[in-house]
Amino acid sequence: MKGKIFHGGIHPPTFKELTSQKPIKKFPSPEKVYLPLLQHTGSPLRPLVKKGDRVKKGQKIADVEAYVSAPLHSPLAGKVASIEEWPHPVRGKYLTIIIENDGTQDVEHQGILTWDEIEKIDIKALREWIREGGFVGLGGAAFPTHVKVSPPPGKNILTLLINGAECEPFITCDHRVMIERTETVLTGIFILARSCGAQEVIFGIEQNKPDGIEKITAAIINFPIPIRVFPLPTLYPQGSEKHFILTVLGKEVPPGGLPLDVGVVVNNVQTAWAIGRKATEGLPLIERVITMTGDCLNSPENVDVPLGARLAEVVDFCGGFQQSPHKAIMGGPMTGIAQVSLDVPVIKGTSGFVFLKKAIQKKEYPCIRCGRCVIHCPMYLLPTDLARYAEYGDFEEAKKQRALDCVECGSCSYVCPAGIPITHYIKIAKAEILFQSKKGGK
Amino acid sequence: MDELRLIQTPAPHIKSVIHVPGIMMMVVLALLPATIFGIYFFGPAYTFSPLLFSIVSCLFFEWFDCKIFKKPVSIQDGSALVTGLLLGLSLPPGSPFWLAIAGGGIAVILGKQVFGGLGQNIFNPALVGRAVLLISWPKLMTTWIAKASFAFPNLEQGALALPQGVDVITTPTALAVSKGYGFSLLNQLEPKIVWRLFIGNVPGCIGETSALLLLIGFFFLLWKGIVRWDVPLFFVIGLAGVALVAGQNPLFHILSGGAIIGACFMANDYTTTPLFFKSRLIFGFGAGAITGIIRILGGYPEGVTFGILTMNAIVPLLDKLMPRQFGVKKS
Repeated sequence: MKGKIFHGGIHPPTFKELTSQKPIKKFPSPEKVYLPLLQHTGSPLRPLVKKGDRVKKGQKIADVEAYVSAPLHSPLAGKVASIEEWPHPVRGKYLTIIIENDGTQDVEHQGILTWDEIEKIDIKALREWIREGGFVGLGGAAFPTHVKVSPPPGKNILTLLINGAECEPFITCDHRVMIERTETVLTGIFILARSCGAQEVIFGIEQNKPDGIEKITAAIINFPIPIRVFPLPTLYPQGSEKHFILTVLGKEVPPGGLPLDVGVVVNNVQTAWAIGRKATEGLPLIERVITMTGDCLNSPENVDVPLGARLAEVVDFCGGFQQSPHKAIMGGPMTGIAQVSLDVPVIKGTSGFVFLKKAIQKKEYPCIRCGRCVIHCPMYLLPTDLARYAEYGDFEEAKKQRALDCVECGSCSYVCPAGIPITHYIKIAKAEILFQSKKGGK
Repeated sequence: MDELRLIQTPAPHIKSVIHVPGIMMMVVLALLPATIFGIYFFGPAYTFSPLLFSIVSCLFFEWFDCKIFKKPVSIQDGSALVTGLLLGLSLPPGSPFWLAIAGGGIAVILGKQVFGGLGQNIFNPALVGRAVLLISWPKLMTTWIAKASFAFPNLEQGALALPQGVDVITTPTALAVSKGYGFSLLNQLEPKIVWRLFIGNVPGCIGETSALLLLIGFFFLLWKGIVRWDVPLFFVIGLAGVALVAGQNPLFHILSGGAIIGACFMANDYTTTPLFFKSRLIFGFGAGAITGIIRILGGYPEGVTFGILTMNAIVPLLDKLMPRQFGVKKS
């Protein structure tokens, strides 16, 4: 089976050399952690603890009945200091469980799994085991993993894809995880493959990570199911799920569809690592590796941080700032979210923080129809027209012109010589279209 | 540490460096070789004033329009400069200064500002200006001068040889000779005509004569990623195709008149061309073919202006040819 290079895409400078050769550093256990009740895509959680309760490391502290959700666990042992509104990296402010570290090492372990057990365990039980670990996609979208690996009746998953593209500039945490924690990643991949019933695994890694390709290729020799490494061309947005599948398998996910529709499920490298870690150490998703980087941080690092660590403390861990940043971005610079405060905590979907000295602002001109956005759009859209429909509030027309197909990669805004925030306009159109259709449905 | 002032803007947070005025300056730069050649070849006395007044007029009228309609002044985006330069280059040497001023005003006001300014116009502004001038002052717009040694004999007045002892004379263009008396006679008068058209030492508009220098400018823009190759190539294919069907020399048609400046710099204008590859091929081919048809069958010896303007008009239609949707196979 042969893949294809997708249409369009861009080659932004990667800046990955800042951290790509730096080993992961462990962040010391913080005094306090801040755990918002919204960590994933799906239903918000309800707290299972109240102020003053003692919690152990790894203890479940929030959950909800809803299917599309994943429980939350405490990353350290201590006391619930309060449950209050706190800055959230995506939502402004959100209800947050604040836990005070008491310095003890009480740990609540969940069931570990050996390779033999993984091979034999009932698929349903395995999916429940994944849900109880609180796993979500750690690439940034934070979609609950157990939902992903459970195809609805009548659909089969043939191939499990592991996304190691990491196409966002600056970010290198997945790169480091695949090199330094290869064994655990492979354990996680085996669990994921078993839980979704995939017959085959393909591990895609962008060619700008030759050491990653080498390491994984060497490590998969004795893997129990067919697995291969697919070196991906270095092209943004290679890590976008739809384009990742197209490159690796040559299949296009239909509009509005899921990878399931082409018999595929895609999981991020670090998700596999987190799951593998539960199998070996019995710990749920309470820590993750993030990349702290940018042009004004004294010491850019890949840091293994507990969830809920306050950004300001992680900045101090990285030596503080050389000079004040004007931009603090959660995630990569192409799709990440600009932060207003360093009080925000690390959440499950945090792949890193990028700090920039300058907020790049292009002077805005009217669209000159140069066609760059059309050439670079990986979804065959006409971004400039979509932006214009959104600007004038003609969401019907935007919908007709396939606004919902947009994967929000930011390529159009990146290349626009007129400095028009095209992606932002299309996002507004998408939100409005979805809102209207929900309203119409009721 | 001093207080943090974090700025919130939507993603993406990094941007390419290219911007609108930069693009316009690149285009001006690309046109400079042909401009300098035109000034040198026809002489500053005949070229300076049309070029200067055309550019100044375009800038002035854009500023004037912005002031009158109380819009922010937009001349710093550079598009009026490009329009002025292109218009000036497509005027005959020796054009009176007021012709350039009128052309610039028409180009900017009627060609661009009435549609809503930069990026909104349907027709190429410089060509709108030129077309109006051509219809309003046909005699002035088709009177050509050149240094006597580079001119063609005035066949209409029965002269078969060039007059001696004069510096600058009026002359027909190669296209006019070919149209009136056939390419074979032109070839008799000047066996190296195709080579001369390529170099540019022939009568014509100020900036259109040197195919070589225009192509150098075009390839510079191509290399810089400012323009695409599709429209110019298919313009040339369309023109050559019509010439072949009519049994005429295709290379002569491609190199003569305004075909090269039209294909590379006017048909290839951002705003007035389609966005999709397929539509662009149709657009380029159509503009080239209409140019050829006008040259061979029409009343004018030259057809680039109307060829491009005609295709400009159907750009919105061509832009309906969207590519297939991602994830949907072609039915």
